[in-house]
Amino acid sequence: MSSIAVTHDAEAHSHHPSHGEDRLALLKKVHTFSTDHKVIGIQFLLTNIVMMMVGGALALGVRWQLAFPWEQMPIFGQLIAKNITMGGQISPEFYTMLFTMHASIMIWLVIIPVLAGAFGNFLIPLMIGADDMAFPMLNALSYWFMWPAMFFFAFATGIGGELTGIRGGMNGGSAEGWTSYPVLSALRQAAPGSEGGQFWWIMAVTFVGVSSMMGSVNYMTTIINMRAPGMTLFRMPLTIWSMFITAILQAFALPVLTAAGFMLLADRSFGTCFFVPAGIVVNNAEPTLGGGQPLLWQHLFWFYSHPAVYIMVLPGMGMVSDMLSCTCRRPIFGYKPMVYSLAAIAGLGFIVWGHHMFLSGMNPALGMTFMVSTIMIALPSAVKVFNWIGTIWGGRPEFNCIFLNSVAFVSLFIVGGLSGIFMAAVPVDIYVHDTYFIVAHFHYVLFGATLFSVFGGVHYWYPKMFGRLMNESWGKLHFFLTFIAFNGTFFPMHLLGIAGMPRRYADPYLHPYLEHLLPLNQFMTISAIVMGFAQFIFIGNFVLSWFYGEIAGRNPWRANGLEWAAPSPPGHGNFDVPPIVYRGPYEYSDPDHDSDFWPQWEPPVPRPSKAAD
Amino acid sequence: MKWFWCVFFAFWPIVAVAVCAIAPSVGWWLPGEAASPLGRRIDDLFYLILVITAITFIGTQMGLAYVLFTGARRTDPDVTEKTWFSHGSHELEVIWSTVPALVLLFIALYQLNVWAEYRVKDAFPKKDMEAVLTRLRQVRTDRDSVALAEVTARQFEWRIRYPGFDAQGNLLPLMQDPQPTDLYAVNDLHLPANAPVMINLKTQDVQHSFFLPELRVKQDAVPGLVIPIWFEAEQQRSYALLCAELCGWGHYKMKAQFVAESEAGFLNYLRTLHSAQNYDGVHQKIEDEE
Amino acid sequence: MRTFVTNCMQLSSMYSRGQKAFGRSRRGLMACGLTCALLTLLAGCGKPEFTHREEFSKLEPYAQEYIHEVLNQHFGTPTEMVVWERLPLKKHLSTGTVTKVAETELTLELSEPHQEITPGTEILWNSGPLKGKPSGWIRSWDHDTHIATLETKLKEMPEEGTQVIVGPGQVLVRGRHLYAVHCQHCHGVSGDGNGPTAEYLNPLPRDYRQGIFKFTLTQAQERASRVDLARTIEDGIPGTYMPSFKLLTPDESESIIEYVLWLAMRGETEYQLVRFLTEDYSKASVLDRVKSGVEKKKAGEEDYETYASIREEFITAVNDPEDMPMELDSIVELIVSRWTTAQEPEAVVAPQENRVAYDARSIAHGRQLYMSNDLNCVACHGDAGYGDGPQTYSITKDLETGKENEQPGLYDAWGKPVQPRNLHTGIYRGGRRPIDLYARVHAGIKGTPMPAFGAKLKDQDIWDIVNFIYSVPFETEQAGSGMQKAQEPAASEEEVAVK
Repeated sequence: MSSIAVTHDAEAHSHHPSHGEDRLALLKKVHTFSTDHKVIGIQFLLTNIVMMMVGGALALGVRWQLAFPWEQMPIFGQLIAKNITMGGQISPEFYTMLFTMHASIMIWLVIIPVLAGAFGNFLIPLMIGADDMAFPMLNALSYWFMWPAMFFFAFATGIGGELTGIRGGMNGGSAEGWTSYPVLSALRQAAPGSEGGQFWWIMAVTFVGVSSMMGSVNYMTTIINMRAPGMTLFRMPLTIWSMFITAILQAFALPVLTAAGFMLLADRSFGTCFFVPAGIVVNNAEPTLGGGQPLLWQHLFWFYSHPAVYIMVLPGMGMVSDMLSCTCRRPIFGYKPMVYSLAAIAGLGFIVWGHHMFLSGMNPALGMTFMVSTIMIALPSAVKVFNWIGTIWGGRPEFNCIFLNSVAFVSLFIVGGLSGIFMAAVPVDIYVHDTYFIVAHFHYVLFGATLFSVFGGVHYWYPKMFGRLMNESWGKLHFFLTFIAFNGTFFPMHLLGIAGMPRRYADPYLHPYLEHLLPLNQFMTISAIVMGFAQFIFIGNFVLSWFYGEIAGRNPWRANGLEWAAPSPPGHGNFDVPPIVYRGPYEYSDPDHDSDFWPQWEPPVPRPSKAAD
Repeated sequence: MKWFWCVFFAFWPIVAVAVCAIAPSVGWWLPGEAASPLGRRIDDLFYLILVITAITFIGTQMGLAYVLFTGARRTDPDVTEKTWFSHGSHELEVIWSTVPALVLLFIALYQLNVWAEYRVKDAFPKKDMEAVLTRLRQVRTDRDSVALAEVTARQFEWRIRYPGFDAQGNLLPLMQDPQPTDLYAVNDLHLPANAPVMINLKTQDVQHSFFLPELRVKQDAVPGLVIPIWFEAEQQRSYALLCAELCGWGHYKMKAQFVAESEAGFLNYLRTLHSAQNYDGVHQKIEDEE
Repeated sequence: MRTFVTNCMQLSSMYSRGQKAFGRSRRGLMACGLTCALLTLLAGCGKPEFTHREEFSKLEPYAQEYIHEVLNQHFGTPTEMVVWERLPLKKHLSTGTVTKVAETELTLELSEPHQEITPGTEILWNSGPLKGKPSGWIRSWDHDTHIATLETKLKEMPEEGTQVIVGPGQVLVRGRHLYAVHCQHCHGVSGDGNGPTAEYLNPLPRDYRQGIFKFTLTQAQERASRVDLARTIEDGIPGTYMPSFKLLTPDESESIIEYVLWLAMRGETEYQLVRFLTEDYSKASVLDRVKSGVEKKKAGEEDYETYASIREEFITAVNDPEDMPMELDSIVELIVSRWTTAQEPEAVVAPQENRVAYDARSIAHGRQLYMSNDLNCVACHGDAGYGDGPQTYSITKDLETGKENEQPGLYDAWGKPVQPRNLHTGIYRGGRRPIDLYARVHAGIKGTPMPAFGAKLKDQDIWDIVNFIYSVPFETEQAGSGMQKAQEPAASEEEVAVK
């Protein structure tokens, strides 16, 4: 039973990386302003891994409060003088900042950039046979625009204190939820976080939006224009299809969010009232002049944010398809249905945003239309799940980290997708809206599905990035711990939601009907802590493999994609000679071919002529 | 090792299902049976979807486990079975597109009327609500609101305004604007039980959400809007009322109760409010009415 | 799990040679990481601490130390409270007598009403041979039969007739826990109204430390009664961030009230002590004394003051039972007596006449009184009752120091700007009952410039004003209507020039 077999395929041998060749060439450029898409991809990846730990730390703060309400909170309890006076007990507004910034950082600084920015950047030119992106300078800018965004999110937590215009340090951090609904976020007096913190939040989201837009324009243009000869649209790997469709989603949805952000900024700073109705008195401030509609923000925000959640899962789906196909040595089951499903999810994704607003007070008739479209979006997702299972079916799976993480994606995505049906049904949503059931659902799709696909993808493409393999055993340990702890943390959330425990509550146990949920919450917190610390294994593996990982050839996984034709890591221009594509990317275990994989770039064996000319 | 992983992926869904199976008995489930007729229909829908998703979950996880086990077996050194070289199966695609589509459409359409009854004003049980008001002997015209209370959410409590009594002691209808006869309470909503009653939901400042978990009622309170909500409580007891839309640091603090009483009890409560609200310190009232 | 990890490690070492070195350094890293993790986890442990007044830091260090010691001795820290018997508070769950002794069961006769006695409550022997010996612990309490079952059989059982204290200090302890959960983040650990959330609130949360509560039904010169605090906790204060805690149980509410009063008494003690010592021992006044001492020394006089001599003087004063301790005693005595008298029925504002009918005559008379020069309500509340009277934009003087306040407008006893009530909103912070409004007018609002008119006005008049106040939100007439018509507009310049 093997996890990794060192390969000596033809390519690896003839272009054997000599001891002089620098495997960490890409890594060494990450601090520079490079326009090489591979370097930019790695820059994104490294930044996002760090941001993941930051977002995770904030989440652990949330979980601590839920498990030990009003007890001294480690670390966070010592960050603000007034909390220290209280003996390390956090204040309620601090808690609201914790979950707001956890979500904001995870969504905008981790999940979206790691899929589109890290993997998209690195893989797209390589997989379609281009030498770089269509707009390399724009590409570099899209990374460097993330840095102001990171700083602004940091300011939004309140860590800069008075220097950044926030009273009370992290007690005044942005705290209106990542959804930032007005009037809470539009009126400065409505919450401590609405004074200075919210300004930084809006700026950060704007910069992330700009970064994403730059990226999406790049990806669409590159994929449409720069494919290698022979790479027809239907010979593209599903990773590329997913990146392409994701880029379209970003391009159409982001401007709406940016516009809404500017409107909110105007409401807060310039006295407009897009979202503020008349006569509202908050905190004994002057009554608002008004004329606005809070619901408008919800429509604009969710018009972006619903496609955003598909942005956060589609690339993962594409990558998992490639990884499953390779590790099972089988073609993808139903390539075209998979492509159409991706497109259907994206297309339907634009007309379902109202399902976040069923109870918002919008016209109930809209509730009915959105319910139908939302329920239908489960269909292409279901088709994809069946096709992934079909891909493993009849294969010879290699039970390595890549395969395990991909199977976890499928298994956990099933849970996430099925829990979505409860919420899509409006009457049931009346009960579960804004409870932990929703939290369970989106963590299953964003963490359980997407993040596991990212872990798998990192293992899979690591050799291409750094010329070495990650350690299999530690990878499996990381997977094992993360999978179990993830389920220990998030599966009970379904039950909490059914029990009626609302979201965003600093102390649910004030309410008698929720008191008995404390032990379960404590179990979940312990699982979360285990899960958080297990990520250090992944990071350790990632970093140490740069130096001690087993050296990999060009195609350690014996895969078909074009990226495996390039050296590991690819140099400038990616390929030794521009590749030509002769077949689709999933020709594994073709009975007519001697090897169990048939790379896209390998010319066809000339067949003996059957008939005389 | 591969067998370990096959068992691993087959085992975790079993644990998940087991946890869900025991959950009701340890209280990690719905907070009691829904105490309102509409709530019971919501619960029925919930269970219907639960059954469908449970079947799907078990089916797909079993399918996944099956392909993992057979795949693992195929990589055993002594097995010579070839990998299945197939790009898919059109028939299967059709089957597993149409069957879920039909199931999903069924779920979508089956419950539209529950939603309509809950939220579409024309579908409110107006006659029943008016019957309650008649029994309460409210002095009203057809154009008066059928609401019995105006619940205004604010940071961080629920302020309630009831219609008061006229000079003859009859219940007045609830007016849009505050009246000198109105009665006020906070965090303590009382309404008649066993009949549909309606409240008008407002908010003074930011968004809140009126959440009665045991009755399965929830509605966001939007600044600038007055939203009517109707419900029917079947048991005369106290229900939890809490906020379900982030409204600031005190979001979790908006603990209130909704007490469903008999109609006589409701009128009595209003009269108690009335006398408390008009207490001028001269009558020897020593105990507080709360 | 362990075997799995071992297997993994074995397998990994079975592979290439590179793996072994990798594994070792990895393990080292893991151990390091775990230690670091544990350390950071522990970095969150501290205890809540009382804070001191701003004026406290302006005292000389030895004066600060003295006050700190006194407070520590009599009040303790939040987590280790000292139950000072002298304070007129309900501190214990109950006191009572042992009437019957069985194996581990004691029948107690307890003073009623008492809070719920929960398992694990301490029972302190307050008389007889067991006094001073370790307490017993109650496993369960049956309040029908009044039998307390102890956790273990005691070596020496109490005699019948032994005085006991059940749950010594528990009311205050419960109060503190509830206060920490519900109140602390606004009102602060010390009740200083300066918790983390406080700076974002308008108006600020109450600072208990002067013992002043605004919305009371007691006379102007009295402290607040428990009923007032209970009402505030239960109904909240509309128009502010003080929410209604209606759903607390009566026990919980009582515990919080006792704790808040405890904080108020502690605050008052500190306040009076600081005030007393600021005269002579604040840094500024000591500096003055030393300066004049230097002058004296230059002039050749013998008895000049130095830092050391002042410090000696202080220490002597502290150790002289006739000096500081007596002063402290009288401070505390005053605090105790004021809080005690405030709970008496005589302290409550009691109208002699019923409220008059809410009719046009009463409202008109009330308006007349409101507008009168004698009462001068319009000075603060404005002609039309919008809370925008002339006082809100003139410079006022601080009542204590006599100095002019920074910003124009009115200030309260806590040194913060305060707005007169806008009567049109229909929001009555202290309660909307007639008696509440009566008390506002009769006894004023403690700690604010709202004066007490009880001496000036008859009950009848106050009720008329109350009725007027009720009518203001429903006024449909424009302010100024019914009065003299506006004059013709002045002739234009041209017309004047022509003339």
